[in-house]
Amino acid sequence: MQTHFTATQLQDPGIAEADTILRTCVHYGFCTNTCPTYVLTRDENESPRGRIDLIRAMLERGGVPDAKTVAHLDSCLSCLSCMTTCAVKVDYAHLIDRARVHIEQHFNRGLTDRLMRALLATVLPRPRLFLALLSAGRLAKPLAALLPGRLRVLLTMIPARITPDVLTSQVFPAEGTRRYRVALLAGCAQQALDGDINAATIRLLRRHGCEVVIAPESGCCGSLPLHMGREADAKGYARANVAAWMREQAVGLDAIIVNASGCGTTVKDYGHLLGDDDARRIAALTKDVSEFLADIGLQAGHLPAYRVAYHDPCSMQHGQKVIEQPRALLRAAGLRVVDVPERHFCCGSAGTYNLLQPAMAKQLGERKAAHIVSTDPDIIATGNIGCMTQLAHHLGRPVVHTVELFDWATGGPRPAALDSVTLREPAPEIQTDSAPAANAGFW
Amino acid sequence: MSTNLPANFDAFFQEIARSLGAEAVNRSEETLIRYGENTMPGGDRRPAGVVYPGSTAEVQTVVRAANTHRVPLYPVSTGNNIGLGSRSASTAGQVILDLGRRMNRILEINDRLAYAVVEPGVTYQAMYDELVRRGNQLMLDVTSGPPQGGMIGNSLDKGAGYTPYFDHFGFSCGMEVVLGNGELLRTGDGSLDADTLVNWHTSKYSFGPILDGLFTQSNFGVVTRMGLWLMPRPPAVQSFHFTFPDDDDLAEVIELCRPLKLSNFVPTLFRVANDLYLTASEGESPEARSGRSLSNDARKALQQKHGVGAWTVSGGFYGPNEAAIAPMIQRVRDHFGKSGKARYIDHQQAQSVPTLQVAINAFSGKPSLGELGLLKWHPGGGNIWFTPGTPMDGAVANEFQTLCRGIYERHGLDYTVMNVCGARFARGLHVITFNREDQDERQRADACYREMADAFAARGVFVGRAPLDYHALHFGQTMPGFQSACNAVKRALDPNDVIAPGRYGMA
Repeated sequence: MQTHFTATQLQDPGIAEADTILRTCVHYGFCTNTCPTYVLTRDENESPRGRIDLIRAMLERGGVPDAKTVAHLDSCLSCLSCMTTCAVKVDYAHLIDRARVHIEQHFNRGLTDRLMRALLATVLPRPRLFLALLSAGRLAKPLAALLPGRLRVLLTMIPARITPDVLTSQVFPAEGTRRYRVALLAGCAQQALDGDINAATIRLLRRHGCEVVIAPESGCCGSLPLHMGREADAKGYARANVAAWMREQAVGLDAIIVNASGCGTTVKDYGHLLGDDDARRIAALTKDVSEFLADIGLQAGHLPAYRVAYHDPCSMQHGQKVIEQPRALLRAAGLRVVDVPERHFCCGSAGTYNLLQPAMAKQLGERKAAHIVSTDPDIIATGNIGCMTQLAHHLGRPVVHTVELFDWATGGPRPAALDSVTLREPAPEIQTDSAPAANAGFW
Repeated sequence: MSTNLPANFDAFFQEIARSLGAEAVNRSEETLIRYGENTMPGGDRRPAGVVYPGSTAEVQTVVRAANTHRVPLYPVSTGNNIGLGSRSASTAGQVILDLGRRMNRILEINDRLAYAVVEPGVTYQAMYDELVRRGNQLMLDVTSGPPQGGMIGNSLDKGAGYTPYFDHFGFSCGMEVVLGNGELLRTGDGSLDADTLVNWHTSKYSFGPILDGLFTQSNFGVVTRMGLWLMPRPPAVQSFHFTFPDDDDLAEVIELCRPLKLSNFVPTLFRVANDLYLTASEGESPEARSGRSLSNDARKALQQKHGVGAWTVSGGFYGPNEAAIAPMIQRVRDHFGKSGKARYIDHQQAQSVPTLQVAINAFSGKPSLGELGLLKWHPGGGNIWFTPGTPMDGAVANEFQTLCRGIYERHGLDYTVMNVCGARFARGLHVITFNREDQDERQRADACYREMADAFAARGVFVGRAPLDYHALHFGQTMPGFQSACNAVKRALDPNDVIAPGRYGMA
């Protein structure tokens, strides 16, 4: 694609990077096939290549963007399905982030929108504050119907079951001989919503010979403000984490473990966000918990072969390309993994998307839920708190984190979220997970 | 158009909006621009609008309205035939009949008789997902192209894959077609005038002429439903690969492959890919802006980097387990070992080589994106495919290699080809990637294609699938009797020439 930035504009490194990205897009259109918003609307401006054109025009023109452009860019999920599909690998992730920064800096949103965004950007990265509001919200939930649109959505999205556990900085020793020393990103919103995830992760890692460190002064990864265009806030969080983990690295660190894949994608991209060597070092050390476990090997699992519908979070499959490891670990745990049709599609969670764009998020959530139900699963598992919340909301049944299953399989407790679920006795099957068994049919 | 009446687009769109609902018509500026885009040298072709039917009955409504208002329709299923036309019409000003948006239902899967019945918008990925969901007992044949490509569209354009069910039209059975005159046709056993059709998608050759072929590479009607046969999924798939060092080794490769296919000992087709076909998907040409073909030094460096020679052969076996397949692979190794030049790459090694993993996916009936990377070899969005064939005769195949390599080089382009080999014939998938924004490159790509098309026709060799830019050229290469027969069928089934005028050269 040809661009027409002035020499002055190109002196801005952000514009220069956007220009390079824009020039790689040649409008093959593969991206439209797998873009959730395009597939649902068939509106070219709701497709990646349409948005790329809008971004080009917005950045070339500079100044205040028009409301139509903002609306189409706001409705992008940043699921990055387009990047998986793109034949020429246009770096859409960084382009849409640049566009969001431009909008944040130049566009005057209405008061309600501004307040809503400020609320989310302030509250979600602070788990104790979020927990306080979450608790108040749960009390107010019966009144949700009386509230205006977005506030109503906020309340309805509060899960029926929350298990908060906000961790302080501390060191959890390895069980037996210490083989690894790892830092765990405790996360922000996740800690307020579901403390079981970190608890299971820590048990699991300790059981596998890891000393687990919650580093002092580490916190929110910056993903939520970054995707709202608040780059300075995001950089602030990122710098704090880099500093915190660099102090730990000085003592010795084999990996930084992330168990919320949305955060993992951002931390792995700290090198780009901060542009310094320390950030690149930290990014290179970062692994999704399933990646790390696949590397070190999961202890032998002993669970019955329950059918587990595994949902790929977009940040995992498109952002980090961690696709096979969770499946392999679930199989190693003794479980039967069933793939969800249309797995390249977003569930509609997408960070704060289901709060800011509830109509589209609802369509996507319902679509994904129907696909999951069609696989007749005993258990539904995924690797990202946002997806867990969104899926549980639309399925009306619990969704567990994969680490809870790995933990259960290797000696931990059965996930508490499954307390209300009666698991069927697995039926003997004539096939493996990836192909029919050797005695199936003619074969 | 066959009459002199002018097209009345406004009346047509009003009628469609009235009959199908306003949301079934899209004439937004952005949509018209995007639907006109393609990757060919000839430029974009802006349509007059896009219509989204939701059923066969609605397709009939649209076709009848097109006849009434003399409006040309251009049906697309998913519009993923990048390099052959994308979603753009034969000429600007046609109305895109986009079947993919709403007619994307899997109508039936018969697990016992191993067939599926689909609408035009059903993609390879959607079918794969559904088969996996149902227990993964059946395998579909896929292309190595876009996973979101449509099964019906590919079959009708004579697309193919690599498993024993590679011939997508050959393994289709039973169509439903809205003819250009708006009438409905069921082919094969579906032609029986009955409420229940037992063998529509299991038998092709009952009473009466076989009409199905009329709707491949033609513009006589709109296929709205098709049966496609599926293969029981084998528990184990094991691939084998041999790489040869020199360009002229192609002759020996073809000679080695032929007996293995004539006997059907090897159940898959052979993918015989040259160095650039395998390596171009992994990056951009180091000499993309030189205006010349890739230098031999750069080519050798790429071979070394990716661990492949000038030609690499890939094939596969199916069986109950790896142990049962091992003796068959050993026989193939012994056979290729006679050459003294072949280096063997086993299944496990190949899994770690992205360009060979594409072959494994293809043999396994698994859609994958890997080969799309070919399109970024020459940045700039230009891509066309030239698809002549060669008999499975090593000397002839090598002669064609020399011919094409020379033409590519004369036009400063990079010879990039895969021969997909059966028993007697191999289709040569020649890729031309170029910078579409550069007039010189565009002209060179166009001239290269035309020179190869002429050279092959002069040697008695025709193409298979072709980019839309060259449909008139290729139709013009056919004998007069063929042309008049095609045109007579067109007049009979689509008297007002409303279905894709100009597509495949027929109008």
